Amino acid sequence: MDSYQTSRVKEASYGRSLIPPCQVACPLHMEIGEYVDLVAQGKVLEALQVIRDGNPFPSICAYVCTHPCEDACRRSQVDKPIAIRALKRFAVEFGGDRMIQLEAETKQSEKIAVVGSGPAGLACAYYLRKLGYQVTIFEAYSELGGMLRVGIPQYRLPREVVDTEVQRLINMGVEIKVNTRVISLDLLFDMGYKAVFITVGAHQSLRMGIEGEESPGVIDGATFLREVNLGLKPSLGERVAIVGGGNVAMDAARAAVRLGASKVSILYRRSREEMPASPDEIEQALDEGVETIFLVAPTKMRRENGRLSVTCVRMELGEPDTGGRRRPVPIEESEFNMEFDSLVTAIGQAPQISDDFHLRLGRGSTIQVDPITLTTNRGGVFAGGDAVTGPATVTQALASGRQAAFRIDDYLRHRYPLVDKEVEETLSGELLPKTIEMIRKIERLEPPLLSPEARMKEFNAVELIYNWESAVDEARRCLRCGMGAEILFQDKCATCLTCLRVCPYNVPYLDDGGTIQIPPDQCQACGICVAECPAKAIVLRKPYDRRHIDEELEHALKSAAESKSKPLIVGFCCQYGLFGTGALASLWREGKAGIWIVPVLCVAKLEEGHVFRAFEMGAEGVFIAGCGEQCSRENTAFWVLQRVEKVRRILLQIGLEPERLQTFNLRATGGDTARALDDFTEQIGGLCLASVIKQEVES
Amino acid sequence: MIVAEQKPVEEVRRIITPYERVLLLGCGTCMTVCGAGGEHEVSFLHSALRVAEARSSDGVHNFLEYTVKRQCDFEFLDLLVDKVREADAILSLGCGIGVQVVAERFPDIPVLPGVNTSFMGMAKEWGVWDERCAACGDCRLAETAGICPITRCTKGILNGPCAGAKNGKCEANKDMDCAWILIYKRLEKLQQLEKMRRYYPARNFRVIPRPRRIVKKADVDLGDDNG
Amino acid sequence: MANSLFEEKLNSHEFLVTTEVGPPKGADVSEMVHHVDLFKDKVDAINVTDHQSSVMRFPSLGGCLLVKELGGEPVLQITCRDRNRLAIQADLLLAYSRDIRNVLCLTGDSIDVGDHTEAKPVFDLDSVQLLRMGRDMESGKDMGGNELKGVPQFCLGASVHPEADFVEPQLVKFEKKVAAGAQFFQTQGIFDLESLRRFMQYASQFNVKILAGIIVLASARMARYMNDNVPGIIVPEATIDELAGVGKGKGLEKGIEIAARLIRTIREENLCHGVHIMAVGNERIVPDILEVA
Repeated sequence: MDSYQTSRVKEASYGRSLIPPCQVACPLHMEIGEYVDLVAQGKVLEALQVIRDGNPFPSICAYVCTHPCEDACRRSQVDKPIAIRALKRFAVEFGGDRMIQLEAETKQSEKIAVVGSGPAGLACAYYLRKLGYQVTIFEAYSELGGMLRVGIPQYRLPREVVDTEVQRLINMGVEIKVNTRVISLDLLFDMGYKAVFITVGAHQSLRMGIEGEESPGVIDGATFLREVNLGLKPSLGERVAIVGGGNVAMDAARAAVRLGASKVSILYRRSREEMPASPDEIEQALDEGVETIFLVAPTKMRRENGRLSVTCVRMELGEPDTGGRRRPVPIEESEFNMEFDSLVTAIGQAPQISDDFHLRLGRGSTIQVDPITLTTNRGGVFAGGDAVTGPATVTQALASGRQAAFRIDDYLRHRYPLVDKEVEETLSGELLPKTIEMIRKIERLEPPLLSPEARMKEFNAVELIYNWESAVDEARRCLRCGMGAEILFQDKCATCLTCLRVCPYNVPYLDDGGTIQIPPDQCQACGICVAECPAKAIVLRKPYDRRHIDEELEHALKSAAESKSKPLIVGFCCQYGLFGTGALASLWREGKAGIWIVPVLCVAKLEEGHVFRAFEMGAEGVFIAGCGEQCSRENTAFWVLQRVEKVRRILLQIGLEPERLQTFNLRATGGDTARALDDFTEQIGGLCLASVIKQEVES
Repeated sequence: MIVAEQKPVEEVRRIITPYERVLLLGCGTCMTVCGAGGEHEVSFLHSALRVAEARSSDGVHNFLEYTVKRQCDFEFLDLLVDKVREADAILSLGCGIGVQVVAERFPDIPVLPGVNTSFMGMAKEWGVWDERCAACGDCRLAETAGICPITRCTKGILNGPCAGAKNGKCEANKDMDCAWILIYKRLEKLQQLEKMRRYYPARNFRVIPRPRRIVKKADVDLGDDNG
Repeated sequence: MANSLFEEKLNSHEFLVTTEVGPPKGADVSEMVHHVDLFKDKVDAINVTDHQSSVMRFPSLGGCLLVKELGGEPVLQITCRDRNRLAIQADLLLAYSRDIRNVLCLTGDSIDVGDHTEAKPVFDLDSVQLLRMGRDMESGKDMGGNELKGVPQFCLGASVHPEADFVEPQLVKFEKKVAAGAQFFQTQGIFDLESLRRFMQYASQFNVKILAGIIVLASARMARYMNDNVPGIIVPEATIDELAGVGKGKGLEKGIEIAARLIRTIREENLCHGVHIMAVGNERIVPDILEVA
């Protein structure tokens, strides 16, 4: 091949994918676009690998992450965001995450103490251990997990999941000390630990501060959930009130339902819009029969006649407070009474830090740390997780633990902490109406849920997993932000306007200077312009995408040459369709002798040169199988057919029958692809025979 | 834009038969825009030729690919010197101009055409090209509301129309509009029909007689400047 | 003083009848001679077509010489498709020298509709420029401005297409032809007398003679073929239906009937100055039409 062109590509080849909003929003900065695309290709193992590269405990996040990625997902500008968390769950389960064994060896001499075994502590231990340190986790309770164990109910996070992760850490060589409350940090240093990571969480429930809070039948949310998760079944009676609007309140309410309460009411002092709990949680709670009473707050409580009499006052929303939410203001003379059997307070938690630690504390009793290095006022003492931020999400805690591990490593190795100076380019966010208009609207596929009736009886996991087809179809809705096309060689661009004319999404445009721009935040990564550009000036941003078909093709041709099967038929099949659509799936499974499948990531990227190469290297027949109507991009079939016609014309001129090149499934669905393929194979066999006979006759 | 079509591959094969090492030379300007001879088409032709070679028993060619920004200026061709040394012939996918300039620059090596240069025209839409200009050298678009009667009327008459149009389409090609009906309608819209009522005498067919040259360089006397 | 017999007739108020013969593809002119003999005394002039429909044939000028020899009154048809201005001027000089004075100046059909589709179309002139050139020669100069030794005189005519589906541009052209010197017009095939009436209302302001072209069709299929392939001819559906309505073999009879009907009406109502009968391929029946009309 031409040396000039390959050397040009090498020079200019820096992986200029842009970071999509989902990845920016993720506290762990996971490569979400990558693994979603791998799920769409049916490559679950690879997807899980990408996930594990960015997340120490994918199985935990798969259940309970609050998915800020989905909130940032740009698909919501078209219809609904991609169900990323559910797809992660699918990859975790179908990729066999549970089976993965981990090992680590000790490469450093230092020991590090991790105080607290919540998600931040477990993550810190994981990364420190991988870096080769000796790690001891100190946990005051009898079981590891922190909020994972005592805060989140089992119907949201089954205990086996946490157990598996803990066991993996133990197999890696992390030392665990349970039932051990750390009372002095000096003691830890005396014991030989060179650094300490304090991550004791925020388990101390805030008090409402009203009369009667000590009455029997009033229990704080953290304690309540701990008891539930430890297997004690606290009896709440029939009518239960939950005060608060966050996830702890939801968890408490839904746990109460499962414990048999017949009427569970949530009392929240603001309105539904201000509730901090995640919308899914609220939905599911309502489905399970939980009642919500808004704009109400208890002012005093009294136990009488075996019941709790709770006096409440109605609230209205006034001016916003410092956090930006509108402050609730009691309406005068609006007191009224409600009767309950018990009441659970869930209005927030704070960390409980012993004074003996001599740590400087800040607002809400949280530990003050440097945001980059996570160091406290004491040398060698780091802190993270809810103990620093106040109650936050599991994923944020994991990120904190990971950060702490690397900062501790810097500290012990006397390195200046390297902050990511490179600002990677991110996507700007808003899709233009002219692009949104052309994107096909597809309903978001939710993972199946247990029915509310089934849920209310047990603590079994509420959310079930996708099946293959649903997972692939949902993953295909991804817009592939930042993975699209760019004009890499502006000097080759002749401004012929082909890209502008062929783009189904109206993305390329002429700027004021008369130069074509392909805005990366609008490009839907269909690949049509890349294949059609007459100057070969446009490439896909991901270097992997650029090489993909060439490499797969060469690999297939090499294997075919070695196997010497005849007649050789090469089939370019869409990888997405191989798993998503039933028609192509059967093609893949019933691989016949002599047929070599070259998986491509959408047939729109297939160029005439690829087809010619197959014929050049001995293919007697070539077929192209796409997803037809189910292709997640528009117009792809039209362009494939254009290229097919162009190649057929040439085949005719060089003495090859145009029927040797066929397409399947590109047009409307319907028709039996497997049978069509059989017919094609037969036809090619016939043509080969005919040409052999002809040669013999001529000679 | 100069518009061309790639020659049929069988013709190309015939043309390159005597040569072993052939440099396939593309052009990055007009031939790219009209999709006949840019880098993409060079690659396409190369792949097609390789298939033909592989399947025939007499394939002895080695191909090199290269695309220059333009073939019609000598300076761009200077970049080719090393490549040309490694070739026995150049198959230029430039327009007729490009082929000839390359041949003039490299007179010691056969330079062969790979496209049929057809006309100067525009893209009506992707994949559809219409001739617009015949380079007659005597542009009279002012009289015909911007519609050229020489390229768009099959007879090239100046006092149109003839009687052959049916349904507004030319008698020679039912897909093409009758230029004079288009001219009439547009002049009517511009309220300039008297331009069509005028008598236009016979054309000067030899405004610049062939072989044609335009000299823009002035002959200046660099001697004493005494006013 | 009229330049030709035909011009004399034009200047009179008689109802004129002209017709045309198509020369043979080849050197054997016997059939053409036979046809000319058939009607030379029954019509006021006979056109000899010039590679009609861009099909190569024995030339119009040669045919006109024959007509003259046989005692008929010829009309030379000159198209701009095949000859440049030098050749056309030369042919006109030759024609004049042989007493062929009537010239029909046409642009000519495009090469594409004929049988030599790779030929170079000349179109050095168009019909309007050709008319002007003829008049300029009459004043003693050729197109280069040079003096002529022996100055020709002609009776010049042109064609017009009243039944064009978009007629306004045709009228612009018609006026230009009149201004350029056309004395008489033979129209493209007329099938609808209403459009002829409308056209004559407009054309009568000019001092030119209009002969309505009457095409004799032989079948519905022929009519449709002409609609699709022959420039300048648009046969209306009603006429096609009329032809389709008769039995096999009776098409030509019907065609003659239709033609005769049209001619009769035109003459009786004095719609225009005459008719020009085009019996494409069926020249032998021309006398019959004249009987019936």
